[in-house]
Amino acid sequence: MAKARALDRRRRSVRNIRKITRTMELIATARFKKAMDRSIAARDYTRQLAKILGNIASVGAGVDHPLLAVRPTQRTAVLVLTGNRGLCGGYNSNVVRQAMALLGQWSSEQVATHVTVSGKRGISALRFRKIAIDESHTSFEDKPAFAEVAPIGQAYLEAYCNGTIDRLDVVYTQFTNIAKQEAIVETLLPLKPPQQEEEEGTEKAHLASEEYDFYPSAESILEEILPASFQSRLFKCFLDAAVSEQVARMVAMKGATENASGLIRDLSRQYNRARQSQITGEIMEILGGVEALKK
Amino acid sequence: MADQSSKRLLHCVIVTPEKTVLDLKAAAVSLPLDDGSRGVAVGHAPFIGRLGTGEVRMSGVTGGGSGQTSVRTFVEGGFAEIGQNTVTIITQRAIDAGSLDPAEAAAELKRLAAEQATGDEAIEARMMAESAARERLRAARG
Repeated sequence: MAKARALDRRRRSVRNIRKITRTMELIATARFKKAMDRSIAARDYTRQLAKILGNIASVGAGVDHPLLAVRPTQRTAVLVLTGNRGLCGGYNSNVVRQAMALLGQWSSEQVATHVTVSGKRGISALRFRKIAIDESHTSFEDKPAFAEVAPIGQAYLEAYCNGTIDRLDVVYTQFTNIAKQEAIVETLLPLKPPQQEEEEGTEKAHLASEEYDFYPSAESILEEILPASFQSRLFKCFLDAAVSEQVARMVAMKGATENASGLIRDLSRQYNRARQSQITGEIMEILGGVEALKK
Repeated sequence: MADQSSKRLLHCVIVTPEKTVLDLKAAAVSLPLDDGSRGVAVGHAPFIGRLGTGEVRMSGVTGGGSGQTSVRTFVEGGFAEIGQNTVTIITQRAIDAGSLDPAEAAAELKRLAAEQATGDEAIEARMMAESAARERLRAARG
């Protein structure tokens, strides 16, 4: 009986785990949809900014803004975006691996780094690898708000203009589509000059037909729009990271649920066999007893 | 006929980094540029301007969903782009002016007025914050 009972107990515990992973999968799916909607809603802003930038570039306004200045890298800032929680497959470890490669490269070139990490998982992983973390955030979950991201961006903008940092790289998981998310390193500062930000095709056709009046002047608008453009790119990184985390969790939990179902099937088979052989054994014993009494 | 009347309206869109706050048609729009407001009606020349802090007022609104004919939105900085009878406002923060609390705005203005600032930069920053707070109070009072 002992073996069958142990198998049954195991099967019950796997069933409970399956219930949990199934629930987590459903939660991740719901959160993914919400995060995705937010990410789509945010695209309009980026598109409009790119349109204005393209217009300014077309009138050839001076592009000697401090944010566009490319300087030799002596001090660099690295922002690593990970999740606060695990159980999402390779999501966190992929980002950490990219970050370690980047940090290794900077340290071999003897460049001073200022490391900022968002997410408990990234903080503990980098601490374990003996990386000095200068700043950390744990407040970003699946709904990053612009009001929360803006102060971080502002601090980077000021540091870049002061010359405290010469470069800013963000390590995060880029969301391409539901089947493809990739941990990448993106350089946000120095900003790319506006000509490169212009969208192809439609925007150009639009430009040809209209000539804009700038008020107070194209330069003054450029001065204001570049920081806004940086902020929106940074915000997009946070949104992408949030969407990718939910997708990764959804996929990981789906796998876990399927695996648990397979385990339950195997355990059930083993349990039934054990129970059957136990019953057979008992019948044999009784029959043996009866035969002995007959004699 | 319906087509003609829609031609006389401006398409107004307000976008923030998080979402498109407003998307409707209006007869006229007043924009808070950084040195005063500017009115926009149908047929305005293509224009890109820098916004200050203040109220975007839209009148003769149709298709807003709530049935109102005028809509007031409080914005903090940003840009306005006008072209092909479309007004696009790009701002980091946009709040429905009706939801602003006058008492809170007044308290904020009072706090700023009491604050000490030394040095040119700090004084300028305080002046800007103060005028933004004043605009906010004006918007809150309606």
